[in-house]
Amino acid sequence: MTQDTQAGVLGVPKKKTTSAFARVARFMGIRAITLFFTVVIGVYTTILIANMGGYVDTIMRNDIRERVNQRVAASTANQNISAETRRQMADELIALEENRLGLNTPFAIRSFRYLTDSLQLDLGRAQNMVSDNGSRTVRNIILERLPATLLLMGTSQLFLFFFSVFIALTLSRSYGSFWDKLVITLSPTSAAPPWFYGIFFILIFAAVFRILPFGGMVDAPVPDNTFDYILNVLKHLILPAGSLIISSLFLSIYNWRTFFLIYSSEDYVDMAKAKGLPSRDIERRYILRPTLPTIITNFALLVIGLWTGAIITETVFLWPGLGRTLYRAIGFFDTPVIVGSTIIYAYLLAVTVFILDFVYVLVDPRVKVGGGK
Amino acid sequence: MFKKSFTFAFALLIVASMVLAACQPAQTTPTEAPVVEPTAVEQPTAEVVPTEVPTPEVVQTTRKGGWLDEIVFSVVASDSALTQITAGAVDIYANGLSSKDLPAIKDAGVSYSTSSGLYYDILYNPAGPEFTDGRLNPFSNRKIREATNWLFDRDYINQEVYAGGGLAKFFAITTQFPDYADLADVARKLESFYAYNFDKAKEVITAEMEGMGATLVDGKWMYKDAPVTLVYIIRNDSDGTRIPIGEYTAAQFEALGFTVDRQMKKGSEASPIWIGSDPIEGQWHLYTAAWSATVLDRDQSNIFQEMYLDSSAQGIPAFLDNVSDPEFKELGDRLATADFATLQERHDMMARALELSLQDSLQVFLIDGKQFTPYVNGMVATADLAAGIEGAQIYPYTLRFADQEGGTVRWATQDLFAEPWNPIAGSNWAFDQGAIRATQSGDIMYDPYTGLLWPLRIEKADVVVKEGLPVGKTLDWVTLEFAPEITVPADAWIDWDAANQVFVTVGEKNPEGLTALRKTTLTYPADLFETVKWHDGANLSVADFVFGMIMTFDRAKPESAIYDPQAEPQFLPFQENFRGFKIVSTQPLVIEYYSDTYTLDAELNIPLMFPTYTFGEGSWDTMAVANAAEAGGELAYSVDKALEKEIEQTSFIGGPSLEVLAKYLDTAIADKTIPYAPTMSAYLTADEAVARYEALKAWYGEHNNFMVGTGPYFVDQAFLTEKTLTLKHFADYPDLANRWANFGEPKLATVELDGPGQVKIGEEATFDVFVTFKDAPYPAAEIKQVKFLLYNAQGEIVKVAEAVAVEDGQYSVVLDTATTAALEAGSNKLEVAVVPFTVSQPTFMSVEFVTAP
Repeated sequence: MTQDTQAGVLGVPKKKTTSAFARVARFMGIRAITLFFTVVIGVYTTILIANMGGYVDTIMRNDIRERVNQRVAASTANQNISAETRRQMADELIALEENRLGLNTPFAIRSFRYLTDSLQLDLGRAQNMVSDNGSRTVRNIILERLPATLLLMGTSQLFLFFFSVFIALTLSRSYGSFWDKLVITLSPTSAAPPWFYGIFFILIFAAVFRILPFGGMVDAPVPDNTFDYILNVLKHLILPAGSLIISSLFLSIYNWRTFFLIYSSEDYVDMAKAKGLPSRDIERRYILRPTLPTIITNFALLVIGLWTGAIITETVFLWPGLGRTLYRAIGFFDTPVIVGSTIIYAYLLAVTVFILDFVYVLVDPRVKVGGGK
Repeated sequence: MFKKSFTFAFALLIVASMVLAACQPAQTTPTEAPVVEPTAVEQPTAEVVPTEVPTPEVVQTTRKGGWLDEIVFSVVASDSALTQITAGAVDIYANGLSSKDLPAIKDAGVSYSTSSGLYYDILYNPAGPEFTDGRLNPFSNRKIREATNWLFDRDYINQEVYAGGGLAKFFAITTQFPDYADLADVARKLESFYAYNFDKAKEVITAEMEGMGATLVDGKWMYKDAPVTLVYIIRNDSDGTRIPIGEYTAAQFEALGFTVDRQMKKGSEASPIWIGSDPIEGQWHLYTAAWSATVLDRDQSNIFQEMYLDSSAQGIPAFLDNVSDPEFKELGDRLATADFATLQERHDMMARALELSLQDSLQVFLIDGKQFTPYVNGMVATADLAAGIEGAQIYPYTLRFADQEGGTVRWATQDLFAEPWNPIAGSNWAFDQGAIRATQSGDIMYDPYTGLLWPLRIEKADVVVKEGLPVGKTLDWVTLEFAPEITVPADAWIDWDAANQVFVTVGEKNPEGLTALRKTTLTYPADLFETVKWHDGANLSVADFVFGMIMTFDRAKPESAIYDPQAEPQFLPFQENFRGFKIVSTQPLVIEYYSDTYTLDAELNIPLMFPTYTFGEGSWDTMAVANAAEAGGELAYSVDKALEKEIEQTSFIGGPSLEVLAKYLDTAIADKTIPYAPTMSAYLTADEAVARYEALKAWYGEHNNFMVGTGPYFVDQAFLTEKTLTLKHFADYPDLANRWANFGEPKLATVELDGPGQVKIGEEATFDVFVTFKDAPYPAAEIKQVKFLLYNAQGEIVKVAEAVAVEDGQYSVVLDTATTAALEAGSNKLEVAVVPFTVSQPTFMSVEFVTAP
C-alpha cells in the first residue's frame, strides 16, 4: 500500500500506466509472497528458539534418564530383581521414550518437519501436553481453550477498546476539563499489570467481602442448567475481565484522547468550526474519518491479539485459557503446541495485514492499492 | 503550574502506594519454636498384636460406604489455598503445602495433617582427584565429603528455611520410617558424633586439602596457582527452598577458603550438567539434590546401594563413578539383595551401613521435609504418614465432618485431569489418583500409620515361605508358616498364550516341576459376589478376577491384539519372579499365588488379585470394551502407543475416547461378545456378558463416563475444562461407614519424663516415663518398646537399654550404681524413644540432670 500523491481529495487527474486489475493483482501477489516468507521466517525462528537451537534435546534426554531411572529404582526396590534385568528395563523404557519424542531423528531434520507440517496447518500431536479432555492432538489442545480465552479477552478488550475510544473522543472535545485532568492523573495506574489488580480484587471481593469467586471459570459443582451456567460463568468473569480492563483503561483513554486531540487541531477542523458546522458533523467528518485507518488497524490487531490470551492473569484466576496453555507448553518444551499456537497467530496476522491494505482503500480516499510508482 | 505538579504528584502517589502495598508481606509469620518431631517405626517382628486396634472413638452408624453425600473436587492455586479455606470457599487443600508454609497455616487457625515431603541433600561429584582439565576436585576425597557433615548446621537450616517444620537428617533412611526407629540408638549416636562443628570440619578438610596438594593463600585455597573454585549447581525451582540451602552451604564452603561459583538453575537446566555430563569433565562439583518418599516404606534395605554405590539403580554417572569403601560396597549390595538370614543379622548390617554411609557421604543429607495438608476445623481426614491425605488409600473411608453423617466436602487440589484416566496406563498424577482412589475398593487396606496391610475385601491370607528366609509378622489376620520346599502345582497358571487366548500351566511350561520361595493363599468371603457391586449395579464376579489375571500378561505379548511395547519393560521384573497362580475354588473364592519375591513382613506378601489395576479399578466389561477399541486401532491405553499409532489415549473420564468406547460397547452388545472366550467362557455366559454391557451402557447414558468402580463413591459428573468433579455416595457399598473409623488420627504417643534433677555419682537413680494418648494411658500391649539412651557430659552415648514396664502408660528407667559411677560430674541427658505398634512414628523425649560427687 502506498499513498498516491497525485490522487486524492484535490481530484488531480493521475497518469494511467497500467490497468487497475493488473496493478491490484501484482500488488496482491507480491504482498502475499512477502507475508508468506515473513510467516516462514517467524515460525522457523520460533522453532529454533523453542528448542534452543536443538539443546532442548539434551535437556529432554537427561530428563528422561532421570525419570526412568527413578521409576525403575522405585518399582524394583527390594524385589530381588537382578541388576541386569533392572538395567535392561531402564534402557528399554528410555529407548521407548526417546523414540516417542522423536529424539532419534536429528533436530535439523525435525525442525524442517515442524515447519512444513505447521505451514500446512498439520499441527500434529503434543509431545508432553494433553488437552483437558485427554486428547494429545494440538488442534484439540488449542481449540478446547479457545472459547474461554475469547470470552475473557473478547469481553475485556472489546469493552476496553470501544469504551476508550468513546470516552477519548468526548474528552478531546473538552480539553482541560476536570474529567480530562482526572484521566491524565489516573493514567499512570496502567503501569501496574492486570494480575496486580487481580490479586487485589481477589483479596477484596473474594477473601474479604466473599461476593465473588477466587478464580476458575465456573463454580464447583457446575450448575445443572444452561442459564445458571451462563450466569455463573459471568460471575467468574467479572474479576479477571475487570483486572484486564482497569489495568489499561486510563492509559488507553489517554492515548486515544491525545490522538484525537492532534486531529482536532488540524487546520481543516478549525476551518469547519469557523464555518459554523455542528460539532457532531465536525467530529464525524473531520476527526473520525481521517483517523479511521488507525482505529481499524488497532481494532484488527486487537481482535487477533485475543488469540494470545493473558498468561499471568489467566494463571492468577485459574482461567482455562490459551495463555496458560502456551505458558505450560514452553515449560514442557512442547514444540508442536508452541509452533501450533504460533502458526495460527502468524497466519491470522498475515491475513489481517493483507486485508487491511484493502480496507484502507475503502475508508480513506487518499489511499490506493499498489499505486504510487 | 501548581495544578500540574499536584496532578503529577498525585499520580506518583497512587502508583507508589500500590507498589508498596504489593511488596508488603502477606502475613506476619513469627518463627516458631524448634519442633522435635518423633520418627520412624517398628521393625518386622515375630510378635503378634491384636488385629483390632483399640480406639476410643469409633462412631456408631448404620450408614454404608463413605460418610459424605458428595465430594466436590476443584482446582485451587496453592498460594491462595489457605485464604480460600479461611474464607469458606473450600474445605481442604489436599495437595498439601510445604514446611515453609507451616507458620501461615498455624496463624490461619485451621486444622492440618502432617506427612512426608521432599528430603534434601547435597550430592557431590566424586570424580578425580583432578578433572580432565587439571582442576582439583576436593570431593573425590571421601574424608572431605565426610567432614562436610560437620560443616552444615542442620538445625539452623531447619529453622531458617523450613521454620522448624522439617527434621534434621543425616541418613538416607527416612527419619520417620520403621528402620530409623529400629536403629534409633545407632542413629542418635552417629548424629551426636556428626553434629555441627565448624572447627572440626575445617581441621579435617584443611589436612586433606593440603594432602591433595592444595595450599591456603590469603585465606583462599589454591591449586596449581589457581583458586579452587567449586561449581555449585543450585536448583531455583521446585519449592524454592533449595536456594537458601545452596546459599548457606556455599557460604560455609567460602568460610573455609573455597571459591564458590553459584549457578542457579531450574531442573531442566541442571540435569544436562549433573546427570548428562561425565563427572570427570568437571562441569560441576556439587548439586542441591532432593528426593521423595511417597510410601511408608517398611524396608529400606536397598537405600544404601541406591543412594551411594556404583551399583545404584539410579544409573546416574555421579553414582557410577563413586569408588566406595569395599566393606560399604559389599554391605550395601548384600542388603539390597536381602542377603541375610535373620532379622538380627539385617539389623546389624543396617547399623554398620549407617556408619559407613556417613563416611562415604557421596550425598550429605540435610533435612527431612514435611508436607502439611490444611483443612477446615471440624473435619476428620486421615493422613498417611508418608503420602498425606490425597495419597492415602484410606481417606475416602474416613473423610467426614465430625459428628455428622452426609454433607459435602469441597476438595481443592493443585490440578485435575492432567492426563487421560484409564486403569492400565492412565494418569498417575497425585491429584488425579486422589479422586480415583475414592471410587475404588480392593483386596487390602494400606495402614496409613504403620505401612502394614489390613484385609479390605479378602477375608484372610495364609503366607508360606521357604525355611530360612527372614520373614516375620505383626498382625494376627495373616498366618505365617515356613516350609522346607514350596512346590507349585502343575495346573497353576504361569503364562499366557496370547495367540490362543489360554493360560499356560506350570506343567506345560515346566514339566520337570517348579518350586517357589513364597506361596500366599487368599480367601475371600463366601458372599463376595452377592455383596460387592460395581457402580453400574452389576455384581462383582469371578470373571472380573480372571480378566485381571489375563491382563497381567496380554499387553506384553507380541501375539496379542492389544500388544504394547511399553508394557514389556514393566513385565520383565514380574516375569523374573512370578511362579504361578491358581484359582482353588470360586465359592468361596480362594486363590493361590506363587512367587520368588518376598518381603520381611508377612502382611506385605499379599498379591493383589482384585480387579484393581495399576491406575484404577475396572470391571471386565469396561476393560473388554477398551481392549476392543485398542484392538480396533482407535484407542490405546498408553501414551506411547497412542502417539506411535496417532490415535487417542483411552480415557474413561471424558474426551474423544468416550464416543469410541460407546461404539465398541454397542458392538459388544450386538455380538454378545465374551472377551478372551477360550478362557473366559468357563466363567461367563453370553447372556451374563450382555447384562453387564447393558448395565455399563445405562451408566454411560446417565453419567457420561466409564469410570465404574466398587469404591465408596462414584463419579457423578466431570467437567474437564472447568476442572471440577463431583463424586457421590455409593449406597450399595457393602461395608459400614465406621469400619475404618479407628484410623481417624494417628495414635502418636505423648511422653513425659520425670526424675531427679541431680544424681549423686555412684548412686542409683530412677526416672519415670509416662506414655499417653489424649491424656489416657497408652496400653502396654500397643507399645513395641521403650528404649532409653544415656548421654554423658561430653554428649556421648554411654548406655542404651530398654525401660521396664510398670503398668499401662508407665515405664521406669533405672540407672544403676555402676552406670552413674561411670558418669563424670556435669550435665547429662537421658533420652527416651517410645515405639508403638499402631503408628510408625516413635516419640522422643529427653531430660537433663546433673551429676555430682
